[in-house]
Amino acid sequence: MSTRYDAHVLIVGGGATGGGLAHDLALRGLRVTLLERGEVTSGTSGRHHGLLHSGARYAVGDREAGVECIRENMILKRIAPGTFECNDGLFVAVCDEDLEYLEPLVEGCTGAGIPVQRLNRAQALALEPNLNPELKAAVRVPDATVDPMRLILRFFATARHNGADIRPYMEVIGLLVHDGVVTGAMVRDHVTGKEGEVHADLVVNAAGPWSERVAAMAGAQVPMTPSPGVLLALHGRYCNMVINRMHKSGDGDIVVPQRGLSIVGTTSWVVEDPDDLSVPEDHVERMYAEGSKLIPALRHAERRAAWSAARPLVGAAGAATGRELSRTFQTFDHAEKDGIEGFVTITGGKSTTLRGMAELCADVVCRKLAIDEPCRTRENVLLPHTAYYSEAVAA
Amino acid sequence: MSATDELPGTAEREQPGPIHHKGPGPSETGWLDPRGRGHGGRALALHRITGLVIVCYLYLHLGVLSMLLIGSSAWGSFLSLVTAKSFLALEVVLIAAVLFHGLNGIRVAFVGSGIAVTRERALFWAGTVVGVAAIIFAALHILGAL
Amino acid sequence: MSRQEHPPGGPAVTQTGQDDIRPVRVYRYKRGDGGERFDEFEVPVGPHTTVLDALRFIQRHHDPSLAIRHSCMHASCGTCGVQVNGREQLACVCSVRDQGEEITVEPLANLPVLTDLVVEMSGFFARFPHEHPIIRSSGSPTDGENAEVHLEGDHEVTLELAGPLHHHPLHNDHRAAPPAVDFVRFEDCIECGLCLSACPVAATSHDYVGPAALAAAERLLEEPRGVEREDVLAWAGRPEGVWRCHVGFECTRACPADAIPAERIMALRRELTFGGPDDKERKR
Repeated sequence: MSTRYDAHVLIVGGGATGGGLAHDLALRGLRVTLLERGEVTSGTSGRHHGLLHSGARYAVGDREAGVECIRENMILKRIAPGTFECNDGLFVAVCDEDLEYLEPLVEGCTGAGIPVQRLNRAQALALEPNLNPELKAAVRVPDATVDPMRLILRFFATARHNGADIRPYMEVIGLLVHDGVVTGAMVRDHVTGKEGEVHADLVVNAAGPWSERVAAMAGAQVPMTPSPGVLLALHGRYCNMVINRMHKSGDGDIVVPQRGLSIVGTTSWVVEDPDDLSVPEDHVERMYAEGSKLIPALRHAERRAAWSAARPLVGAAGAATGRELSRTFQTFDHAEKDGIEGFVTITGGKSTTLRGMAELCADVVCRKLAIDEPCRTRENVLLPHTAYYSEAVAA
Repeated sequence: MSATDELPGTAEREQPGPIHHKGPGPSETGWLDPRGRGHGGRALALHRITGLVIVCYLYLHLGVLSMLLIGSSAWGSFLSLVTAKSFLALEVVLIAAVLFHGLNGIRVAFVGSGIAVTRERALFWAGTVVGVAAIIFAALHILGAL
Repeated sequence: MSRQEHPPGGPAVTQTGQDDIRPVRVYRYKRGDGGERFDEFEVPVGPHTTVLDALRFIQRHHDPSLAIRHSCMHASCGTCGVQVNGREQLACVCSVRDQGEEITVEPLANLPVLTDLVVEMSGFFARFPHEHPIIRSSGSPTDGENAEVHLEGDHEVTLELAGPLHHHPLHNDHRAAPPAVDFVRFEDCIECGLCLSACPVAATSHDYVGPAALAAAERLLEEPRGVEREDVLAWAGRPEGVWRCHVGFECTRACPADAIPAERIMALRRELTFGGPDDKERKR
């Protein structure tokens, strides 16, 4: 046990956000309990295509997000070596219209500190022979491929090793609120079917697209716009690098290799209920169409899986597609916002920035608990993902 | 107060859980259950069964030979038993068991040493064809000769 | 793009109609209340409905206490392994319609059940060799025919790179990236446990390390990544290692990810039986 403080933080939600936060707080010596209704990373965090952003995709429209991304990209590669295919990524122009995006992209990347390199057609094809031979130009950026679950498991493993109690299959069914202070949670254990209560000095809502629902359990408001998108996994590894379309964010503009599969993504729409995720066949068709503009062989590749995942976008309902909302994250201290003490929500964000999000939220948590501890997660090398399973035995 | 003590189900999670075996419903059959298995798993099961059959036969055979010590009358009644058609049918079964065990054994010996691994399935079917032909031949001779 | 309307109820519901309702039998087990039992639920099934879709539908519409394990939904993470009609499958890519009229879902075999369809994977991972890296060099070229590349004037393509685009943690390489491409990739094995469940030997031999662990060892022979060959062979050559395998090949048959565990076990056995071509060299 390496906890230095009695302060007990309860984290609701076992995704990237919860895992990053549990790790950060455990390193700062707090007592941490994390509750997740299913398997860890079974929400949005485990389902994305596996892109570790260089930030290039955001550098043009959202400079701040681009800067955040490249910084976190470098940190993650340092603290979690061996969990990335560091093969870089390409932005590929397949038509003349795409070429208009080339200069803004290079300028945006340079301005955000993202290493970028121009390539001509021959160079791009030498790197990736399966690319559309009609391509006009390409740009190389330090994207990487990540195994989403395994990266996040490293955070959970390390947190567990440092004394955090990570508890999957424990669903929060209500929050205990006493005189305007959140004092804990009501839980249902899916291993036994029993219900009970757990008390804490501070509860952090890290439930991703379900944040609004969890916040409501305390009478707090967190405006979320769950925004799903369809992803398509096809048989065959057609690239080693991440292949992006050189244009503004749109449907089907990325192909990510995942072992022997190629993942094409994605689309975007909005829903009310993050558990209500359909997979419209016309979206699947669109992935085939757009993906094959980047890699023609994908047109005839056999489908392995099609699924959707809800992005946890923060912001008011009323957005049409979800693409307009910023991907940066927000931390809500509900004492300021709703007059409820002992309750903080962290939500939004992208998988690439999980560590950075956790740092900022942990700072808020420590400030509220009057604990003065610096963040150590930039340098602390994470345990391997397999340690998550052996730590379970030790716990 | 430790949260670990508070949360429901903590003690239960630390217990060892039941191990689920193959086949619908809880069962101990494991390797013996051919359902849901491919040719390799079935060959393995049959190899073990034929192995046991051959060992049992070996003991029976030794027991039978020991009858020679008893005398000619015991031997005579024994001979009428074993020349009966039903018994000869069992001999065919025994031959089938020996053939299967032997041919599959050759396959396992090669493949299990890393030889011809990619042709493992072909070896299985080739062995099956040879074995079936030999069993038919044996059956015709043993049963047909009467 | 305008706001899109989608049918409610999750991916199990077909867009064309909801009239194909099928019974799904599911193994249930909650600790502390004793029994293992089977529950049956009605699930609407469409052409692309997977077993995982059906299970999530059950969770959402019939019984929220059903515990299931999943994460990536596309056969990459390896968490959703179950037995469907007695055969090991990843629930997220197993089509319900392909299973026929009756469908029974059970947890994987040979590992202790935590609850319902969730097994405890700690025993699975405990069997692995101590070192087991999941990144390797990309090796063979990518799938698909190479596009014909017409180079200007047919000259050899060289890439002039200004400097490293990233710090490559594996190789600690501070030079500019060389022109020849040095790609890496994840190992094919997704640690799903289907092979251990399918193995007929693992049913009765509880100390057998199992196909996944042995395949991981063989991959260390293929690409050492700092691990000594002797150590790998010593680890694999124990009685509870390669020699406990009885050549059932059920592991490769069950594997959803091209990790070919059976072939790798045989390769280890070949190394142990005959030694590799390097043996004479190393003994010098």
